[in-house]
Amino acid sequence: MATTNTQASPILLECHNVTKSYSGVVVLKDVDFSLKRAEIHALVGENGAGKSTLIKVITGVTPRDSGTIVFDGHDLPIEHTKSAALDLGIGVIYQELSLINGLTVAQNIFLTREPLLPGLGLINYKKMNADAQALIDKYHFPLKATSPIETLSIAQRQLVEILKALSGNAKLIIMDEPTSTLTSSETTLLFDIIRQLKASGVTVVYISHRMEEVYALSDRVTVLRDGKLVTVLEKEQISPAEIIRLMIGRKLTADETKRVMVRKGGEPVLEVKDLTSVGRFYGISFALAKGEILGLAGLVGSGRTEVVRAIFGIDPYDKGDVYLNGKPYQPSVSRGIASGFGMVPEDRRQQGILATIPMTRNIGITNLDTISKFSWVSERKEMALCHLGIDLLKIKPKNPDINVGNLSGGNQQKVVVGKWLVRNLKVLIIDEPTAGIDIGAKDELYETIQRLAREGISVICVSSDLPELVRLTDRIIVLREGRMVKEFAEGHVTEVDVLKASSGILEGGNQ
Amino acid sequence: MSVSSLRRLILILLLFVLGAVLSIANPKFLTLGNLMTLLQEAALYGIIALGMTFVLITAEIDISIGAIIAFTSMICVNFLVHTQIPVVLFVPIAVAVGTLIGMANGFFITRFKLPDFIVTLATRGILSGLALVIAVKEGGFVSNVYIQNPAYLWFGKEIGPTHIVTIVFFVLAIGAHFLLKHTRFGTNVYATGANINAARLSGVNTDRTIIGVYALVGTCASLAAVFISSRMMTAMPELGIGQEMDVIASVVIGGTAFSGGIGDIPGTVLGVLFLALIKNGILKLGISPFVQPIVIGGLIVVTVIVDTWYRRLAERMISQAALRRRAAANAAVAAKA
Repeated sequence: MATTNTQASPILLECHNVTKSYSGVVVLKDVDFSLKRAEIHALVGENGAGKSTLIKVITGVTPRDSGTIVFDGHDLPIEHTKSAALDLGIGVIYQELSLINGLTVAQNIFLTREPLLPGLGLINYKKMNADAQALIDKYHFPLKATSPIETLSIAQRQLVEILKALSGNAKLIIMDEPTSTLTSSETTLLFDIIRQLKASGVTVVYISHRMEEVYALSDRVTVLRDGKLVTVLEKEQISPAEIIRLMIGRKLTADETKRVMVRKGGEPVLEVKDLTSVGRFYGISFALAKGEILGLAGLVGSGRTEVVRAIFGIDPYDKGDVYLNGKPYQPSVSRGIASGFGMVPEDRRQQGILATIPMTRNIGITNLDTISKFSWVSERKEMALCHLGIDLLKIKPKNPDINVGNLSGGNQQKVVVGKWLVRNLKVLIIDEPTAGIDIGAKDELYETIQRLAREGISVICVSSDLPELVRLTDRIIVLREGRMVKEFAEGHVTEVDVLKASSGILEGGNQ
Repeated sequence: MSVSSLRRLILILLLFVLGAVLSIANPKFLTLGNLMTLLQEAALYGIIALGMTFVLITAEIDISIGAIIAFTSMICVNFLVHTQIPVVLFVPIAVAVGTLIGMANGFFITRFKLPDFIVTLATRGILSGLALVIAVKEGGFVSNVYIQNPAYLWFGKEIGPTHIVTIVFFVLAIGAHFLLKHTRFGTNVYATGANINAARLSGVNTDRTIIGVYALVGTCASLAAVFISSRMMTAMPELGIGQEMDVIASVVIGGTAFSGGIGDIPGTVLGVLFLALIKNGILKLGISPFVQPIVIGGLIVVTVIVDTWYRRLAERMISQAALRRRAAANAAVAAKA
């Protein structure tokens, strides 16, 4: 397939009829995917649509079953390796960054490709650091070649990842949900960089669940659904609503990003007064009414997660009082669970699921008080609870014996929510409820949370997803640098208002 | 000063304090003869500790090294008793056997994705059994071979006041330091131990790196076996069994993290000297040598507790600095608006 005049070809990558199945389940079916040189190409689809698998097949992480891939004139064999893909100029920036703590920026950029001194094979550190710094300066990144990786922020680490790809003369850089952990100003910087990459002739594949980003950035969009290619949209055809319709095959209801807030009355269930943890958050006070959904907004690092962790009793705090049903309450995880608190943590894979054990025990683990007697776990009751969870949240597949690690991200999250829902819950704390979850599953989760609130459960929802906060919650408290800066309790609120408060742009100010 | 250099400074201070205490307690401690013996003792298992440093930084473990010592020394004894092959020929063969055993450990761990502990435990069993099988026997009983070959005994001799093994240890330490800090292999060792998935995604051949560190420690162990048996002027199938305890202890005391990604050779050299000093001190203070493993076991626990504590402290310092930076950045954004 390789031709000699490839440099002239405007097509960088051409996948044809790519098929891949895992243990009999087809995850990619006859997919065609092509990339032009120097374009920003978005790859979208719900979770399980096959985006990640397609990327893995292209980069050689997993072999495909059939189909052809031609990259820059080179026919990629079925079992090509990651390093072969790197050598050809395919760089990937993964959601879980692939940088090594303990090594410097320069060492990470040139890992496995270190310049050597002639003779013994010793690394030429002087040249390596100089080369790295030259690369950093070329793109005006705020980095130093000799800094250890662990001293950098997430956004800076992402820049190092990009440099790592560029240093290998990448012609194609694939970014998997690059903005999911970035603040809005960092996201703006990343977009500038992506456009800069395009200008220098690099093709960028951009995977995101955030439609505004896809809309703002992309030259073309490839939509996948259920492992099949739905369509490829050209620049002028791109609109967020259209992409979402193609992804899920239905239109979303009305304008969901602007809402009128109505204050919920009634007895406060949980009251927090002047809660302070030095270096994390200061003077946090609020009251949570029965059946209220309270949103905690703020940029990453504003102290949102730290506040709810303290209330749930995971981390200690220095000052302040917590009241539960009007009585003083000393937070601790075991007391919290016994008094009707539930917590869905931010990082599902690290803190939420027990990946290697079945769904039954994942749900049973927080309910051992109700399903066990004298330390003997009733498997019958555990199974009943699990079925209850499956029905409440429509977990798929409806197989209680499946190991949770084998479920899709959305369904894993449902299991983590489910293990609390089957309890007699009073206060549910959810940190980033829909991070990395597809739109269909998001809607279901929103409906579930709102149904719970109607049934009298109070919810605290921490989220970076502004449309989500505006749509889901009854009231939004905005934190900035560990302090409460704004509360949206009544009247109109839009995501722009929340964003302004989060980033410190005061109301009434221009823009 | 960073926490890791503070840790090193404390270890050096402890080394001197311990030395001073021992010199006062027993005048025979601070003699050239005793110090040279101490260094020789340190060097004998220090050679293996150099290799073990690579293994631990890769977040692996090898508990078969004691059995490698036993097996290799039995090979050497068989060459001595049953053949006329000169020492310069069979010693490299014996050392290469250690390399191959290490490679086999690494191969089974990476190829079949087996736990390192289980594989090297099995190797330990197999080799200590094989050492007994190939031991030189008289009337069905393992005979205690008395080594008289002058060429072989050279390995236990001195040059001037210094034992040859001591010189070899320090030369190897310098080599190991360069291998770890200044070559691609060394960088891959850190990368694999710090974050194996990230290393793989960066194109590091982690399997080859892991096989490499096991081959290295296997080579070190069989090389040490030659020096140990030469010094003892005999070899038994039990020789070296259990040595992994001292070797791992000195590497951990030297500051290498069991969890991988952290550690270096200067630290290991200090750890080796420290442990040798403790063992020598126990003897010189007239305490029963049976106390040694108790003290060493206790030292491992104390070191790991202290290390865990200060690493948490260091992480906290870094994350607080990041918080401050982020707050400043947010303030800048606010100011711009």
